[in-house]
Amino acid sequence: MNDVPANVLEIKGLDVVYSTNRGDVQAVRGINLDVRRGEILGIAGESGSGKSTLAVALLRLLKAPGKVTGGSVIFNPAGRSPVDLLKVHGEELRVLRWSALSYLPQGSMSSLNPVMRVHDQFKDVIVEHAPDRKEAVGDMIPRLLTQVGLEPRVARMYPHELSGGMKQRVLMAIAVALEPDLVIADEPTTAMDVTIQRVILQSLADLRTDFGVTLMVISHDMGVHAQLVDRVAVMYEGQLVEVGDVRQVFKDPQDPYTRQLIESIPQVGRRAS
Amino acid sequence: MTADAPPAVAVDKSQDSAPISGVRAWLSRHPLAAYALRRFGLYLIELWGALTIAFFFFRLMPGDPIQTLIQTLQQNYIYNAQASAEIIARYKHEFGLDGNLLTQYVVYMQKLVLHGDLGPSLINYPTPAQTVILRALPWTIGLLGIASVLSWVLGVVIGAIAGWRRGKLGSSIATNLSIALSHVPYFFVALILVYIFAYSMGVLPARSAYDSNINPGISLAFIGSVLKYGLLPGLSIVIIGTFSWILSTRMLMVPILGEDYLVYAEAKGLKSWRILTRYALRNCYLPQITAFGISLGFIFNGNVLVEQLFNYPGLGTTLVTAIQQLDFNTILGVTDMAIFSVLTAVLLLDLLLPLLDPRVKYWK
Repeated sequence: MNDVPANVLEIKGLDVVYSTNRGDVQAVRGINLDVRRGEILGIAGESGSGKSTLAVALLRLLKAPGKVTGGSVIFNPAGRSPVDLLKVHGEELRVLRWSALSYLPQGSMSSLNPVMRVHDQFKDVIVEHAPDRKEAVGDMIPRLLTQVGLEPRVARMYPHELSGGMKQRVLMAIAVALEPDLVIADEPTTAMDVTIQRVILQSLADLRTDFGVTLMVISHDMGVHAQLVDRVAVMYEGQLVEVGDVRQVFKDPQDPYTRQLIESIPQVGRRAS
Repeated sequence: MTADAPPAVAVDKSQDSAPISGVRAWLSRHPLAAYALRRFGLYLIELWGALTIAFFFFRLMPGDPIQTLIQTLQQNYIYNAQASAEIIARYKHEFGLDGNLLTQYVVYMQKLVLHGDLGPSLINYPTPAQTVILRALPWTIGLLGIASVLSWVLGVVIGAIAGWRRGKLGSSIATNLSIALSHVPYFFVALILVYIFAYSMGVLPARSAYDSNINPGISLAFIGSVLKYGLLPGLSIVIIGTFSWILSTRMLMVPILGEDYLVYAEAKGLKSWRILTRYALRNCYLPQITAFGISLGFIFNGNVLVEQLFNYPGLGTTLVTAIQQLDFNTILGVTDMAIFSVLTAVLLLDLLLPLLDPRVKYWK
């Protein structure tokens, strides 16, 4: 336990294709990427660059016609033996979920069950993976909600009574409820207005400080990466074109595509032409 | 369906007009009670409207029921003389056919609302129509009620599993069988069942509702006999009913499987049984509850063809006999019964749904 591997995740040569009746479309091509423990890693890229496919493949939520055709993803959860995420199945995978590998979906999407109270959507995942904490659930939920800036009474509400920003915070609180090793966040601020985005980004940064989780943040928005992440990986047409310290990448992008992405951030005083 | 109903009791708007009376204040503090009251008021209006339409509609029917009655009486009791004008007048009064249409309507509604009296039945004169209907009702409720509940439960459970495991062999079989069989008429299945079990094998009775050698009453022999005689008609309804519920439940289930909250539940690493029951089924059974309530209302019409085929003494058989004999009081009574049951079922659903689905809120 003392020598916890420095990398939470080691992705090697990952290939993902979507089968169509006109042949396979390669969405992720030979990605090699390490996620370091405790960091916030950003995945940037335009729509269709394969960043969301990468996320669902890592989470093992890829559905047909998507298919992983090659590579390995070594996951090193603290206190457990390393596993290849692409090779675990059934019960072994189910046990790994949430307690070690959790997921933060886009809040504007309907990821919360519309007919269950927020409280019950916390409770089922806690009871499933940490039955010993069943008694503590009543204290845990208000604490988690407070930590993401929500009032404890939100626990009694149904998803349709929450705003998009509140839903996103609830999802954040559920994501870290079991202190997982890695949280994969897919477009956590998309479809939110700018002021809420700012607050959500701050809360995400706080999650690392408060819970010591490693975060992988998928976003098409370079502004999100600039404000939040430590390192950024840029994807284009399924390939990684650049990985590096976020300041370094912004100051001196090595790849022409990265430069275009950075230049695409709207700035006050500069008109789009 | 009633969300846009005009509020019979204005609750919120009256706040600014200084003193609000006790009832209004109470209602504004109990929105659920206010909603229930308003919904019940609407129910009464619907009921009155539908009964009125039914009454006038049946008065448009051609044919003279009194002449029919007199003919029947003549056949039965060998009346020689022509019915005198006096006798006709008396019957007309008894059947509520004297006076103009409006008077008839007022008398009919008065009797119906105040005494639950539908007027005498023609076929069973002088037995009142309500007695005829109430005699048939338990058989229909027993047969069709149990069959409907059974096919709903079976259909929703099998349909949900078929949707959940779509693409698997068992699911494909269930789905394709349902597509093939769900629109086969009940009586067709009934005929096949009769052929196999009653005609060829001779193990089950195909006519009547119980063994006429057993005295009706609360005895084991009688109940056993009722169950045995009800098996074939019940089965024919359950088989087809189940298939159509399977099909509709599966159709509701499949799009839910693509919802974000199901992907999320999977990512949470919940057991698949829990995902099926707490996430998928809980979101797909609500429309089926509505559909079930409405179908329950309709069983009070009796399933005419099945009852006829099995000579089952339910409402369907009563209705057919009544139509053949131009027994307008009974026909109208059965129609009133159907109106009453459909509207009551819908009312109960409207009151029940907000308790089952947190998103449904008719009151604010």
